[in-house]
Amino acid sequence: MIQLKNLSKIFRTELIETHALRSIELQVNEGEFVALTGPSGSGKSTLLNVLGTLEHFDEGDYLLDGQSVKGLSDSALSKLRNEKIGFIFQGFNLIKDYSLQDNIELPLRYRGIAASERKRRAEQALELVGLAARRDYHPSQLSGGQQQRVAIARAIAGQPRILLADEPTGNLDSLMARQVMELLEKINQDGCTILMVTHDPDQARRAGRQVQIVDGQLSDAAMYDPLAVKRA
Amino acid sequence: MEQFLYYLKVSWVSIKRAPLPYALTIFILSLGLGVFFANATFYYQLNSDPLPHKSDKLFFPMTLMVPNECRDCQPPRVLSYTNVQKLSQTDIPSAKAGMYSADGYLRLDTKQAPTPVSIRITQPDFFKMFEVPLLHGSIWADDKARLELILSKPTAEKMFGRSDVVGEKILLDDRDFTVVAVLDDWQMLPRLYDANNGGQLSEADQVYMPLETGYDFNYMSNRQSHTYDYTDYRQLSTQGRTGALNQLQFWVQLDTEAQQQAYRQFMSNLVADEQKAGRHPSAPNNQLVPMRNIVSYFGGESADIKAFALVTLLFLGVCLFNASHLSLNRYISNQYEFSLRRALGASRGQLQQQMLADVLLMATFCCVCGLLIAWGGVTLLNFLWPANSLFGRWDLTLLLLLLVVTFTTSYLVTLYPSLRASFGGLNQQLKE
Ligand SMILES: Nc1ncnc2c1ncn2[C@@H]1O[C@H](COP(=O)(O)OP(=O)(O)O)[C@@H](O)[C@H]1O
Ligand SMILES: [Mg+2]
Repeated sequence: MIQLKNLSKIFRTELIETHALRSIELQVNEGEFVALTGPSGSGKSTLLNVLGTLEHFDEGDYLLDGQSVKGLSDSALSKLRNEKIGFIFQGFNLIKDYSLQDNIELPLRYRGIAASERKRRAEQALELVGLAARRDYHPSQLSGGQQQRVAIARAIAGQPRILLADEPTGNLDSLMARQVMELLEKINQDGCTILMVTHDPDQARRAGRQVQIVDGQLSDAAMYDPLAVKRA
Repeated sequence: MEQFLYYLKVSWVSIKRAPLPYALTIFILSLGLGVFFANATFYYQLNSDPLPHKSDKLFFPMTLMVPNECRDCQPPRVLSYTNVQKLSQTDIPSAKAGMYSADGYLRLDTKQAPTPVSIRITQPDFFKMFEVPLLHGSIWADDKARLELILSKPTAEKMFGRSDVVGEKILLDDRDFTVVAVLDDWQMLPRLYDANNGGQLSEADQVYMPLETGYDFNYMSNRQSHTYDYTDYRQLSTQGRTGALNQLQFWVQLDTEAQQQAYRQFMSNLVADEQKAGRHPSAPNNQLVPMRNIVSYFGGESADIKAFALVTLLFLGVCLFNASHLSLNRYISNQYEFSLRRALGASRGQLQQQMLADVLLMATFCCVCGLLIAWGGVTLLNFLWPANSLFGRWDLTLLLLLLVVTFTTSYLVTLYPSLRASFGGLNQQLKE
């Protein structure tokens, strides 16, 4: 469903050009769980942002469901983000002075979903992440792991087909990280395609497939991880 | 609608996050708007056109028909009785009236204490030309002298305790008059028919008397008058109609271009004939000033108000600049939230709607605060310049105008910062 063809991304500032992504070729099929690994500054976040249409690219093409995102208008891209893609960030990015319910309803509002339906979906999503009883809480009243679960609820409330997670467990201790990981696996089993950036080799191994980026280029993760070969 | 209420709620929550900078923004903008409004009120009222459909059809004719030789002179701004007669002797105007104002004392009987009143001594066409509304009775049928008065509504109510007093007797300077009509509430603002005397800022007169009666009873003008000889013009009834006592205002209504052209021609013929007859020595200088330009013709524009208008406009500009600077800081500190909303699928259009909600809230606050400050300013100005106090008033048009200004400034203050925020880079903000 995701196809990157010879995709390149250059950040230009007055002084320097950074080749954040170089000639990326990547195909991700419906229902896959892909772990993106690589050293810091290698372009993982940039790749995820390009996939999420938060960032434009300079060369190549990006096909989503067979359709190029090049030349789509801002409103078409927003609609695509809103309906097909869910984001999970390392820093949770919840709005502090909104209740959990309001945080989760936020993307649904921009889709113009009616209040009762929004409420139903938000409750369902909170149920799934095990926080149904706290929907009127504010994020600051929750632990980090709980906050990340709210962020996941927000990402899946819109029933996206792709979940993009940028180091979702980076700020969490190992117990909480495991809970989040289990949740993501569950969501993946329900049919959602997931691309996740991670530094944790254990987590990467639990994903169905590993992709490594070094210096903006994809390298075959299999070469570095014989276990993955066995599994595949 | 639900969505818009949500946008308002989002604006409100973000205000609550940092109420102090927001309050400061509102205060600065309101201060600029309030000071601007206060001055704009006077400017608007002083420059408003009381009869917009007619102000280019009513004219104030003047000629240099005076006994003395005068080179490069402007014609006198008040006219003599004879000259008004001569300028009236034509059918070209649709209406015409000579007039002046005087002081008098009103009472119902000689036991009562007299009430000072201002009298407009005029001819029937006055009421027609300036569209004076009539409440009871009827205007004098012709220009002849008669012991009949027309009262303003407040005067009737003050003297009799009611307004329908047609047929009642009243004493004006202890002479018996009959009330033949009562005007409805009327205040021409500015009172342009009195601009030659600089009286455009004054209140409407209280009592109206026929011109001929005024001359018969020796009422002298309480505004300006000049003479060109040594006749004792206190004997207005015997000398005033023939000599060169200039104290009258004269207005004609010329509805069409053709009428105006014809009347100009009539004036120059008249002046030429008079000169031939040896009644005045000066070279002709005829003026036919439309009511629309009358204040500027007589140099009656208030320079204070004009200078002040410029200053307050500059002040508003400075406040606008400062407020938008503050507002930019606010948006930049909220940029993270904008980016988050974009990432979660809000389009730029939806963020701009959010911005409109911000504008609406800001405009509402600024409107309330700005009008309060303006109200204080107007009260202060009325206190400092009582002469202008009739003009320190708000009407619906002015309020709507002020509303538009408030929205525009609030929009300007919000526009640039919010554009910056909604076009900012997306990924940068969301990374920790
Ligand atoms: N907005 C930006 N402007 C300029 N350079 C950037 C920007 N974002 C990322 N980069 C550069 O692109 C490279 C890849 O960054 P990133 O994708 O954030 O790496 P990672 O997530 O793998 O740590 C880095 O060298 C970074 O400095
Ligand atoms: Mg990163």
